[in-house]
Amino acid sequence: MVDEQERLLPIANVGRIMKQILPPSAKVSKEAKQTMQECATEFISFVTGEASDKCRKENRKTVNGDDICWALGALGFDNHADAIVRYLHKFRVAERDKAAQNKASCSRNSQDKEEEESSQDQQPHQQADVPSNSKLQVLEFSH
Amino acid sequence: MRQAGSYSGILMSGKTGPHLLPLARIKKIMKKSGDGVKMISGESPIVFSKACEMFIGELTQRSWMVTMQGKRRTLNKEDVASAVMATDLFDFLLNLVSEDTFKSS
Repeated sequence: MVDEQERLLPIANVGRIMKQILPPSAKVSKEAKQTMQECATEFISFVTGEASDKCRKENRKTVNGDDICWALGALGFDNHADAIVRYLHKFRVAERDKAAQNKASCSRNSQDKEEEESSQDQQPHQQADVPSNSKLQVLEFSH
Repeated sequence: MRQAGSYSGILMSGKTGPHLLPLARIKKIMKKSGDGVKMISGESPIVFSKACEMFIGELTQRSWMVTMQGKRRTLNKEDVASAVMATDLFDFLLNLVSEDTFKSS
């Protein structure tokens, strides 16, 4: 069993990344985390294989970061991730702005800061939820 | 401002940040991915650390949408399998998720 776990990415780390994406009330079954572990590990093998092929064709011995980046693009991950990354980016920008505003108001009035935090907490979550709903339609076609 | 794609532009963005995944483990997995993989530069696991984060995030989001369609709050492995089957990009995972489904039954 130990060997099995060593060939995969650690389940705790995988679980943590999953939690970051999901709403706070969401739960993830242990089997789902295990499946995700396997999928992420396979992702690494898949992309590395492609990058390594490129190196071999070009008579290079070392797979470097550029090769990995190239393979990611060649395998189609860029196009796919764009929309999702844009939403995540908006979320993070909102978080950053919130943090910046908090810092600014810290120097002025700490009372005001508390009120800002509770109202701004709502917005990023809403922004993250809205894209999910629109993506729902994309998935339906396959069934 | 359009750079290289979100995945392939990881190195250029310079924002690889704190690593959520252990680099040594990533390197081990890379080495086992084929006979041709002999030498790996130091930055490769770092790129993967970010790429895996994005990949897990994307698959998780898509799986969660299936969970929501089923009006549930617990993401289970069948949701992951559904998301894989519904997404062409994840074809390389098809065998993996169907094996998983067989294992439990």
